[in-house]
Amino acid sequence: MAALSDWKGRLEETALAPVRRTGWRYWAFVAFLLAVIGWGAYAYSVQLRDGLVVTGMRDRISWGLYIATFVFFIGISHAGTLISAILRVSQARWRTPVTRMAEFITVVALVCGASFVIIDLGRPDRLLNVFIYGRWQSPIIWDVLAITTYLTASITYLFVPMIPDLALFRDRLAGRTSRWRSGLYRVLAIGWNGNAAQRRSLAAAIGVLMILIVPIAVSVHTVVSWIFAMTLRVPWNSALFGAFFVAGAIFSGIGILIIVMAILRRAYHLHEYVTEKHFVNLGYLMAAFAGIMLYANISELLTHGYKLAEGVEFHFRQLFLAQFAPLFWFYILGGLVGPIVLVLLPATRNARGMVVAAVLVTVAMWIERYVIVVSGLRVPLMSYEPADYAPTWVEWSLLAAGLALFALLITVFTKVFPIIAVWEVAEDHEATVGVPGTARPVALETREPA
Amino acid sequence: MNTITRRTIRTAIGLFAVGVLALALTGPALASHVHVSATVPGDVTVGEMIRIPVALEAEDGAPLRGTTVVFYLHAVFAGVTGQAEIGRAVTDEMGVATLAYRPRLAGHHELRMEYVTPGETKAEVVTTAFDVTGGEQLYRSAPGIDVPGLNVGLLMAVVTTVWSILFGVALLIVAIARAGGEIGTPGHSWTR
Amino acid sequence: MCPPMDEADDGPEMDGEGDEGATPDGSDDRAEATPPQALTGGPRFGRRRLLRMIGVGSLAVVPLPILPELMRVAGLAGGQPEPVHGIGEPARTRDGRIRQWTMIIDLRSCDGCQSVGQPPRCTAACIEGHFAPEPMEWIEVFEAGLPGGGTQFIPTPCQQCQNPPCVNVCPVGATFSTPEGTVLIDQERCIGCRICMASCPYDRRFFNWGSAPVPPESLLADYSPEHQVPAKKGTVMKCDFCPDMARTGTLPYCVQGCPNRAIYYGDLEEDIATNGRAVVSASRFLAENDAYRLKEDFGTGPRVYYIPGHGEAVGRDAFTPDRQPTEWPWMERAEGAVSWQR
Repeated sequence: MAALSDWKGRLEETALAPVRRTGWRYWAFVAFLLAVIGWGAYAYSVQLRDGLVVTGMRDRISWGLYIATFVFFIGISHAGTLISAILRVSQARWRTPVTRMAEFITVVALVCGASFVIIDLGRPDRLLNVFIYGRWQSPIIWDVLAITTYLTASITYLFVPMIPDLALFRDRLAGRTSRWRSGLYRVLAIGWNGNAAQRRSLAAAIGVLMILIVPIAVSVHTVVSWIFAMTLRVPWNSALFGAFFVAGAIFSGIGILIIVMAILRRAYHLHEYVTEKHFVNLGYLMAAFAGIMLYANISELLTHGYKLAEGVEFHFRQLFLAQFAPLFWFYILGGLVGPIVLVLLPATRNARGMVVAAVLVTVAMWIERYVIVVSGLRVPLMSYEPADYAPTWVEWSLLAAGLALFALLITVFTKVFPIIAVWEVAEDHEATVGVPGTARPVALETREPA
Repeated sequence: MNTITRRTIRTAIGLFAVGVLALALTGPALASHVHVSATVPGDVTVGEMIRIPVALEAEDGAPLRGTTVVFYLHAVFAGVTGQAEIGRAVTDEMGVATLAYRPRLAGHHELRMEYVTPGETKAEVVTTAFDVTGGEQLYRSAPGIDVPGLNVGLLMAVVTTVWSILFGVALLIVAIARAGGEIGTPGHSWTR
Repeated sequence: MCPPMDEADDGPEMDGEGDEGATPDGSDDRAEATPPQALTGGPRFGRRRLLRMIGVGSLAVVPLPILPELMRVAGLAGGQPEPVHGIGEPARTRDGRIRQWTMIIDLRSCDGCQSVGQPPRCTAACIEGHFAPEPMEWIEVFEAGLPGGGTQFIPTPCQQCQNPPCVNVCPVGATFSTPEGTVLIDQERCIGCRICMASCPYDRRFFNWGSAPVPPESLLADYSPEHQVPAKKGTVMKCDFCPDMARTGTLPYCVQGCPNRAIYYGDLEEDIATNGRAVVSASRFLAENDAYRLKEDFGTGPRVYYIPGHGEAVGRDAFTPDRQPTEWPWMERAEGAVSWQR
């Protein structure tokens, strides 16, 4: 018991540490991110003043980096779905230390992704038209519906399991931290004190959400893919897009989760809770999804390529051999085959190897979104010379600002909210360590006698 | 008779001969006299298929077979006036060519029929007229199919269901807050 | 003491845990004597009120996605799906039926204006008449290859589809089909998302990437979806079949501009068409000349028909390549004219 309470004490201290102490490195990093975001804001002001002509997009290739980045961010928002929901439903206990980070990523990525759609609009001043005049038949409206639903569900799904940890913060930090912070924890902990009625409600809420959020998340990236698949462009006119994009989203979500895990583990000394095993398990999942992505690519490309209908030959030439070949082959070999190899080789099947694989995956998935958008639009519709597209400094600046915003929001979250799901990790630990009578898991178990 | 009278008579005969000759030469053109009778239906509405039989008869009553008759309608559109070809038919054994036509505009229409009789090069023209009343909108472009139930209502139902569940979760959160009035366990508040 | 059940503790679809207050459970902690609200007071009271507000607030959020549809169904103003303002009455035939505009382009007479040695006159007339910003070519003359070599010229206006991919995907209904079967754009509603440009299979939609250079006289025009002058930054434009002119019985600019009279403008309701000189029965003209439509397989149902040819009726040999590049003559009258590439 002493060992257990020692262990729990250490866990609590680790969770509280980021909030208690803030070093200069944090402020330096935040300052750097704010600078990047500021530069992006300047670039956006130029775009607002002069119009979208400051980008590289033109009539023939009318979508580019912005839409690619939007799809990318919505994709990585599926990190939370996989970890928090799918692994929770399948009762994989090893997930507990990383669920909180995964949910952070989900909420932040959705916010960043939605902002890129707005950045891409020609008339952002008319954004409200989407709500006033919205047409249900439009894939963009399906997108708005799905993303607002997913954002609401994700914020709820971030908040609800965090309530006991917020109560911990409230209790342990009362009077020892700034007023606004204690007030925040008190309000957000909504009077949690662990009594049976509250735990029942919490269990019910988590149980409902973890099941509900899976179809919501699947629908989100499916409707994002339908923005492309509901058009008649040759590379986009495919029934496979929905499933393909959902698999790609979960895949890129795992990648970003590994990266964030590695960074936060190092920054906040979480080595005892986020272990090699977590990286390797996520690596296995990542490799499995890489296999699914390879299968999806083969399905798509082989069925089109066998027949070579009109436009497909042009598309294959630009994709495999010419303009987009370096990007495409990096995606296939670096982003899909590479992670599988890194997971299969025992020498690289460790935290460092998995982080390398995750970086490859994340970069490759952004490249894949970019290639889908730009190469899809580049196939000529009538007999004219194909156009070319190259993003300008405005677009690159806004991409950097978007990534900086993503990093900044997660960094700020770690300083305000508990970075580890303390109560879930404790439960998991007690269950595995096996001290009888002390394991009282709240989630998934129905009420038991007091 | 004196010389003058004789010369006058000779001139007159010469002129008469020339006249007869001229008349003989031009005879066929003037005296083509193909009888054309077109039976125009009364009481026509826009969009209704009508048949206009045109009978061609030679002067001697024999029907003209195998003659192509081209039908034109006098039309005005966007400030341009002209003859729009609306059909052609070939006369049959009875010398009747029938135009099958759906009038597309109400009002008084002038129908012009052109044909070239066998042996001739120049087309001959006959006109007639008919009236059309009406009409209902004929051209409807409404692509797509309508499957009952597969519509916006289904989407609204799905969205409402999901949001109701989320609202239910919100109520659970409120329940947690309300249950905070009771005494919980001291110390660690997430397990007992 | 059980708290009042004004807010049900279970939601409508809960699995399992749902009856906190309803079951007389022995372990129900609420059965313990908790003093009534007034005695607890202080921050807990404030928190309860705050949470009640949050709960009611979440109620307000529930109908948000379907609110516009509810308003529309209830017949409230502001929920109109069709932007009908700025559009005139549908053009009608003499006997009151709604016209169904169509265009028939006789490629036997189109030689890309090689015989007149100028950039295509249809495109030039459209640009002049609408002040179409450079580099938009609302009707564009493409040079397409023919089997066996050689080329044909294909003037391509907006195809005015009857199953328009652009109308189907527009999120705000800024592009819409009219009763006459044409497709128009309301540039005052357009948000510039460009999904319509991605979905048009004929490359017939153009975007105002910047402030389009326009001649000063265009700024005096009254804007309407039927008369897209002046161009608005950040919105989409395209050929509109000149509906304001057609309604009054004037032929569109491109039809008037063609020196070979290759473009016919017509009405499928009255089944008639004209190229400015001759009047034809549209259905016969199409059927007898083996007319076809572009990309028929896509099922878009265009209203623009083509009669196959390569300019032979005006003396062009199929193997004569190239036409003059399009020009925007009024560019020199537009102050500080700076445009962009396609």
